[in-house]
Amino acid sequence: MDRERSEVNDIDRSLYDFRYEEKEGEFYRVKEGLTPDIVTEISKEKHDPDWMLDFRLKSLQIYNDLKVPDWGPDISGLNMDDIVTYVRHKTGMQATWEDVPEDIKNTFERLGIPEAERTSLAGVGAQYDSELVYHNVREEVLEQGVIYTDMESALTGEYADMVREHFMKLVPPTDHKFAALHGAVWSGGSFVYVPPGVKVDIPLQSYFRLNAAGAGQFEHTLIIVSEDADLHFIEGCSAPKYNVANLHAGCVELFVGKNARLRYSTIENWSKNMYNLNTKRAICEEGATMEWVSGSFGSHVSYLYPMTILKGNDSHCEFTGITFAGAGQNLDTGAKIVHTGERTSSFINTKSISKSGGESTFRSALTIKEKAKDAKASVSCASLMLDDISRSDTIPAMDIRTNEADVGHEAKIGRISDDAVFYLMSRGISEEDAKAMIVSGFADNVSKELPLEYAVEMNNLIQLEMKGAIG
Amino acid sequence: MRINTLQKPTWNALKINDAVVEESVILNGSGRSVVEKIPAGVIIGNESCKDCGGCDLKDAVDIRSIRCGMGEEADSFFARSSADVLMVHARKDRQVAEPVNIRYLMENGDSNADRVEILAEEGSAITVIMDYSSTKKDAKGFFGVQTKVRVSKNARVHLVKVNLLGLSYLCLDDIGVTVEDGGSFDLTQMCLGGGRNYIGVAADLAGYKASFNGDMGYLCLGKQELDMNYHIAHHGRKTGSELQVKGALRDEARKNFRGTIDLIHGARGASGNELEDVLLLSEGVVNKTLPVILCDEEDVEGTHGASIGRLSSDILFYMQSRGLSKQEAELLMTKAKLNYVRNLIKDEHTHGRIQYYMEEAFR
Repeated sequence: MDRERSEVNDIDRSLYDFRYEEKEGEFYRVKEGLTPDIVTEISKEKHDPDWMLDFRLKSLQIYNDLKVPDWGPDISGLNMDDIVTYVRHKTGMQATWEDVPEDIKNTFERLGIPEAERTSLAGVGAQYDSELVYHNVREEVLEQGVIYTDMESALTGEYADMVREHFMKLVPPTDHKFAALHGAVWSGGSFVYVPPGVKVDIPLQSYFRLNAAGAGQFEHTLIIVSEDADLHFIEGCSAPKYNVANLHAGCVELFVGKNARLRYSTIENWSKNMYNLNTKRAICEEGATMEWVSGSFGSHVSYLYPMTILKGNDSHCEFTGITFAGAGQNLDTGAKIVHTGERTSSFINTKSISKSGGESTFRSALTIKEKAKDAKASVSCASLMLDDISRSDTIPAMDIRTNEADVGHEAKIGRISDDAVFYLMSRGISEEDAKAMIVSGFADNVSKELPLEYAVEMNNLIQLEMKGAIG
Repeated sequence: MRINTLQKPTWNALKINDAVVEESVILNGSGRSVVEKIPAGVIIGNESCKDCGGCDLKDAVDIRSIRCGMGEEADSFFARSSADVLMVHARKDRQVAEPVNIRYLMENGDSNADRVEILAEEGSAITVIMDYSSTKKDAKGFFGVQTKVRVSKNARVHLVKVNLLGLSYLCLDDIGVTVEDGGSFDLTQMCLGGGRNYIGVAADLAGYKASFNGDMGYLCLGKQELDMNYHIAHHGRKTGSELQVKGALRDEARKNFRGTIDLIHGARGASGNELEDVLLLSEGVVNKTLPVILCDEEDVEGTHGASIGRLSSDILFYMQSRGLSKQEAELLMTKAKLNYVRNLIKDEHTHGRIQYYMEEAFR
């Protein structure tokens, strides 16, 4: 009997790859490119306080002074002269789905956001292009004193001083070229403040949708979780595919207070014309816990390395991630962790899958500073090659500056084990099911960390598409 | 001079993508090299290969083009700085039991760069021990050596490198090897001496079932610095590589380790593994580790692992329960790591010299 060839298909993005054409006059947009005039125009349009306009213009100067990274995937296809940095629907943000413009509402309904809000979320922010179009939070969460609002309101409202105190302090514009770009043209995003001792039982979610062709999205997420508080924040993102480059250069800053816990989950499914140059960073005070759960499935090129600074003694970080690189994708993902406090601990556990010519790179930096006595850290990464035209690299760096530390690292690259397939087939499972099962199990580290609804979405991204494609 | 550059770099801020060595060393050509033993079946020649009756010039040219671990700038440095090449040829099918010993005695103020080429012809086996040492422990100077090795079909080369130089020496040890069908290359290195040591190793596993087996042991004390770059390229099918790096850092010592397993498209059935084990003995040490796997082929397996830090609490408890102090336990474990590598060197004289150096270092 001829042995059938089995293969795993790329992720199907048809669920996300739909769009509504913009109607004339519905949207406000700045010109393509990046100039002081455009930055000033964005600032004016957003009613920024004066300090923010200064901040934006200084960031633009820094952007112009910094070089494009010379160590990562090629981003020469990204030309800032062609990117529109601000696109906003003229109706502004709404507090009920009924008031959201019809096409935009339909977009989010197809993505399942309103339904998720009703069933499993404490609050939702929905961003369409450069600004939020919908924001709402449950009454009982508001009564706990939790603040969950759009960044534009936060910047001028009751919490303006707190925002100013924290805005781009963890990720300064000098950090790298695209942090500077973000500082210059940021718009949208969410501000979350959880008061001391408050535990938010069900997650908050922000969903970012970039609909406009040739546009950039630069949302800023600022979360402050106070002492003894607890929060799970979910971030989702997608875009329809265009023939021109789109850019995502968001920024996430997370402040985790003493003995607090923050889980930040992301399912990223940008379209394959997207350059995803996102920056995420957290800082943990004494006894705090930071948990990252990250699934990277989309975009043409990704540079994504959430960073955690374990500043407080006894603070802890876990990073769990999966990356699936298919045809036309070069996904450079990983994590950075800096231990500065005593008895701090961290665990990085990642998986990557390469398929149909896709390139995935796991890149990490673990730094244990001189004062981080009794620090413990572990880095584990595994990569699965699904064919011989793809590529998978691992580049885990470790910089250890104290003898009172324990650091372990392990990595493995290989293909689906013939023995495992044989074992499953010998128990009556077909070859296609066996391979699907193995790949699904390989991704289990992330899916089991997600809330059920999102684990289902992620499994849909992988497993359901595989089922019909093998054989 | 920029050396030990990573093939696929990472964040520049980590300062591990390469190393920079000032090229202002004044080479005075002093220092003594001696080939102590020339066993039967081995030919020692010079650059023109005139004295070599066992192979033709074409082989020599092939060796010259072998890529080394430190990179192109080091290549041109050695080509400029070293007038002659010491050539070691093992004749076809000769299994040479006795090692060839090449000893470099580098005293205070000496400064020299040398090139060595080793050709193991088809079916031959040879061990070459290269030992660099100074009489005085605090001797200052420069020593550089570039070693290119061609391992022909079914041949076997065991190259041993022992660094016992004075603690103010700058040392460049640049190695390149290509291994043909069924050939195997074993590299055993011990780096105990020298003040600033740079090691670059590039292995090209070109042939079917070619293999590389590397074992490196080091001890960095005081202000010693060690910078390593290993690049093992799997071109051939069913090629195999194993790399183990073991060592200890104490006082204000600094060490960088870059190890790249490069599984190139077409190397079906290849397997590459690397393991690093570092014992950190003092507060002021700095350890940077970057184990890289580059994978461009599906039917391969690549693994790496690293264990970095202090002596584990289990081992420490076991030893203390048997009456050893923490310092004695650390010393014992450091010696155990280094002795594992030392014991791979099958030469009593070299053994003795390493043992003596280690005892002195721990005194």
